Amino acid sequence: MFVQRRTKGGIIAVAVAAAAALVASALPAHAETGVTGSTIKLGVTLPLTGAAAPGYNKIPGAMNAYFSYVNANGGVNGRQIKLIVKDDAYSPSQTLSVTNDLILKDKVFALVGTLGTANNEATTRLVNSQGVPRLFVNTGFSGFADMKKYPTTFPLFPSYATEAKIMGKYLADNFAGRKVALIYQDDDFGMDALKGFATAGTSFVAKIPYAALSQADPSVIGKWVTSIVASGADTVVMFGVTSATGALAGGLYKANLIGKVQLILGSVGSDGTTLKGLLGPLAPALAGSIAASFLPSPADATDEYITQFKAINAQYNAGATFDNNILVGMNTAMLTVQALRAAGTSPTRASLIKAIETKGSTWASAAFSPILYSAKSHVGYTGYWFGKLGLDGNAVSVDGPGKYTLYTTDSGSAPVVKAAATRPAMPAKGLPKN
Amino acid sequence: MKHKSPVIRLLLLILIGAALIIGSGYVDQLRSYQGAQVAIFAIAISSIVLLTGYSGQISLGHGALMAVGGYAAVLCQSHLHIPYPFAFLIGALAGGVAGFLLGIAAARLRGPYLAGTTLALAVGLPSLANQFHILGGEQGLLFDVGNPPASLGSDFTQYRWFFVVAVIAAILVFWLLRNLLSTRYGRRWRALRANPTAAALSGINVAQAKVLAFTLSSTVAGLAGSLFAMLLGLVAPLAFTLTLSFTLVTGAVLAGVSNLGGSIVGAVVLVAIPELSNTAATHFGGSDKVTANLPGVITSVLLIATVLFVPNGPKLPRMKFLARTRQ
Repeated sequence: MFVQRRTKGGIIAVAVAAAAALVASALPAHAETGVTGSTIKLGVTLPLTGAAAPGYNKIPGAMNAYFSYVNANGGVNGRQIKLIVKDDAYSPSQTLSVTNDLILKDKVFALVGTLGTANNEATTRLVNSQGVPRLFVNTGFSGFADMKKYPTTFPLFPSYATEAKIMGKYLADNFAGRKVALIYQDDDFGMDALKGFATAGTSFVAKIPYAALSQADPSVIGKWVTSIVASGADTVVMFGVTSATGALAGGLYKANLIGKVQLILGSVGSDGTTLKGLLGPLAPALAGSIAASFLPSPADATDEYITQFKAINAQYNAGATFDNNILVGMNTAMLTVQALRAAGTSPTRASLIKAIETKGSTWASAAFSPILYSAKSHVGYTGYWFGKLGLDGNAVSVDGPGKYTLYTTDSGSAPVVKAAATRPAMPAKGLPKN
Repeated sequence: MKHKSPVIRLLLLILIGAALIIGSGYVDQLRSYQGAQVAIFAIAISSIVLLTGYSGQISLGHGALMAVGGYAAVLCQSHLHIPYPFAFLIGALAGGVAGFLLGIAAARLRGPYLAGTTLALAVGLPSLANQFHILGGEQGLLFDVGNPPASLGSDFTQYRWFFVVAVIAAILVFWLLRNLLSTRYGRRWRALRANPTAAALSGINVAQAKVLAFTLSSTVAGLAGSLFAMLLGLVAPLAFTLTLSFTLVTGAVLAGVSNLGGSIVGAVVLVAIPELSNTAATHFGGSDKVTANLPGVITSVLLIATVLFVPNGPKLPRMKFLARTRQ
């Protein structure tokens, strides 16, 4: 009995070894981690559980929907893309743990769209030591563009300092002589903004800082309104998260200031879907507010990127409502596909990074802003357009539907340049052929 | 029970540590990282065991005390440029000072009031980082302890080095705590936990004993926090959330809250749960949402089961050199 079993085990072992040897000899000599003849493995970390999850947890579904669509149409150079999604609950320690899994156990080829500033910081040492490309990180922290510290990392979103500089220019051009008050989140997010406004030379009649999350406290909102009234401001710049915008709208409504104060919203605090959810019947109170954005409005049915992404979403994403998070997920996935295509028929981590540096600035992407990737720069988007919120909470360009004026600049001292927005056309059927 | 002398205990611990460190050469980087995680969690859980299991005080805010230790270590290293082993000591001291202050308040509070106070600390303290620029805000401060010593060879990975550092720290902590608990302080704390009134009647200065326990427990938590910062490579408010505090209490309960040796088991369980649930989810082909929520479900079920069926912790093979002295 025992002898028999052992023999059987022995035969299996030999067979497995032989099969392994066969497979090994069939593979190219220097196959890259995470890439086989038929698949490319990618990884993403973001909050799927916990307080930060709502909204962000729609991103992986959108990325997977786009990748499934590409896979169904032949994949990338014949390889199917497989995205491994890991939940980090927005905690950097969990991000590190699950990224260890992704890189050391699942052996992904690259990370894409990893979310959060501290979360990406926590995995930097690992990412750098293993030379893993980290594409299109989902954070507005401009520091990730530092190629010495983050040689394999490519940020995508414009920095907060860039946004504030551009807002300053917009205020000077369109609201000269107005009394402007600024409400900002009192942390690095707001500090970056103050820096940008200082560079732009914007002067405020009142600067109102608030601690992150304190917008949930009605007395804090009361103080904002009192400060606005006391300063005599007729224009208020809101540089905070969406829930703070919602709270401000509620406060202004109570004080009967709607329509008397012009609101100007930063891109972080102006997501139409979220505002509608937060404000309910009060949402129209924000109509007429000016909002800065770099991506087109998810409700813009005339935008070719939006319509194509919506079609893919309807087919591959099990009825998820199309919003800004889905747009971000799809846009990230489409840039990823272009990067993988450009990395060649036998992609390596080095060829992927090289491809983004040399060709990334030409790729199709939904944003109206150019992408500044080059061998000397890992800066992504640099521009914003301004829209007016309609009664439905969605922004329509101030120049009229479908007409966009783009303001571009950098995080430093470069001037703000205004130009008609152009971007590469959406590839036919949303399938890049670069 | 036969008492072992501190020296023999130390030798035994060193032997175990040496075996672990040598063994770490035969596992991959992922296991080294998890090993370091276990050692750091074991230290943090032992601080709860010391506080709750011995002095009978409860803390839901040890994650915040870890943050104090972590931030202190990072600030000292980046501003005073001291070598990182000393940064760990400073992290421990800072935790101790914070714990002393908290302990003064804690000694006046009992049960749910103490739980509430420490809970508030866990919620509030980490967000302080957003108020002071020197603390680096939401994205935190980087903590770079550099590469492993060159003398260990180029094959010696960073994670293995973290494992070695964490294991050495854990051995020191366990040795010190174990010895301390068999002194009169340990006996006083146990008397206190059993019945504070009786303890006071027997001449024990209850308030003093409580403050001392809180201070020592926080010192250990501070050390764990600075080691945690080493492993993460940074400190940030999001790294020391309420969840971390709850996780530590869970680990202590799973370990049997008055069992110092059990902290290691608690730590292993905490590190193993996400791994196991991941394997299970992959095996049964669950969606991302299932995979994401499974560890929380498993931890909660384990916690409830432990409290219901084995309130004194699972029966573990007795680790005599670490086991609690019989009363």
